[in-house]
Amino acid sequence: MTKPSSASHAGSPGRLDELFQVPGARPDPTRARLVLGVAGIAALSALITAIAVPPAPVASTVVNMPTAPTMVTQQRPIVYVQLTPGQSPPPGATVIDAKAPKPITIVTRVPAPAQRAVVVRTTQSGKVIP
Amino acid sequence: MITAERPTRASRVACYSLPTLIVPLTVATTAMGGRLIVHLAAPAGDGRAKHDARRLLSRIGCWADRLSRHLEASELSALNADSRTRVPIGPTLAAALWAAREAADESEGFVDITLLDARLAAEGLSFAELAAGVRRSWSLESGPRRTAVVSRPPGVRFDLGGVAKGWLADRALVLLSSWPSAVVDADGDLSVRCRAGDTWAVALDDPRADGATLAIFHLSAPATGWSVQWGVATSGTSVHRWRRGEILHHHLIDPRTGAPARTDVVQATVVCGSALRAEALAKAAVIAGSTDGLALLERAGVKGAVILTESGETLALPQTLTLLAG
Repeated sequence: MTKPSSASHAGSPGRLDELFQVPGARPDPTRARLVLGVAGIAALSALITAIAVPPAPVASTVVNMPTAPTMVTQQRPIVYVQLTPGQSPPPGATVIDAKAPKPITIVTRVPAPAQRAVVVRTTQSGKVIP
Repeated sequence: MITAERPTRASRVACYSLPTLIVPLTVATTAMGGRLIVHLAAPAGDGRAKHDARRLLSRIGCWADRLSRHLEASELSALNADSRTRVPIGPTLAAALWAAREAADESEGFVDITLLDARLAAEGLSFAELAAGVRRSWSLESGPRRTAVVSRPPGVRFDLGGVAKGWLADRALVLLSSWPSAVVDADGDLSVRCRAGDTWAVALDDPRADGATLAIFHLSAPATGWSVQWGVATSGTSVHRWRRGEILHHHLIDPRTGAPARTDVVQATVVCGSALRAEALAKAAVIAGSTDGLALLERAGVKGAVILTESGETLALPQTLTLLAG
């Protein structure tokens, strides 16, 4: 069964060949081969890029949290470099003993409290002994 | 060797909107040689709140009397006077001693309740001396009906001190379960429960001036969620101290030496999940000194910590800033 639109072109010889194909005839493969070739090259290129090129370092970003009580903006560039025998530390690096405790962040500026009457207090206990 | 770049110090960049603070109904008494206070989020004239608070104070006052080494009739004094190495004890003392074992674990061994004789020796009240660096082991076995049996070497005597206060504060808060926002203050060690949406303001005493405040914590629970329990405790060397000759001594004994701790920390305050834990960790931070103490508190995962040093520095762990009122 043919569509009405196809029937309207049935008079041209080329269309007749398409409608009534001779057994054994094949469409021209050139275009399909070209497309497949280009796609293969693109895929190979992507693979080579992913495997051979080392990943770029991810830049760290400091995110400023939008909520009001967030008070700390800090970077924590804690970089440990395990030196093998014979190596020396990079210029400017602070060298610490391997057994030294891990550095911690300490806040030195504690906000002064507003002068408000607060009922609940935490205090040291005990008494001064004369 | 390891090279390390130290982290940058934190800077404060805050603006802080003041929450609506609880104005509590407060009932107080004295116990354990100090104050015992209940704060409830209730209107000033609420009769049921006053009744509940007074009844609670009476009950935990009785418990405190059983745990005091200053009262001859207390369970603790009876245990200390007992010459046996295995001694059966009642439920209240058993619970407090279990809490003491927990405090020792939490504080990495800095809280040690077997140091009574070392403390009395430091005060000049006893000739007994603790050999330097000697830890004295003791154990508990559960008995029927929440009793227990204490096993200890001959001569070991216990001083519950801050452990009893922290445990009493936490236990008392459990008994106030019908009050969703409540604080029990056991002589400065606080057990705090906060209903969703409420905020308790807790002032941190500045020991350098009478009545001064070093900081104010805002302890709150998210508006949409469960109530939150907090523990806040302060320990230090600037209040309970005395002079022997030219040297100032204090009451915090270092279990590694058997003598008052040589430390650069004047006062440490810890905020965490229970008063018992906060008390143990605050004491440990004082004894350990500022560097090791802050590292210990960081390992313990506390919610906040503020340390005042001999040189006048105020140090805090970064997470503390979210609790501090500006």
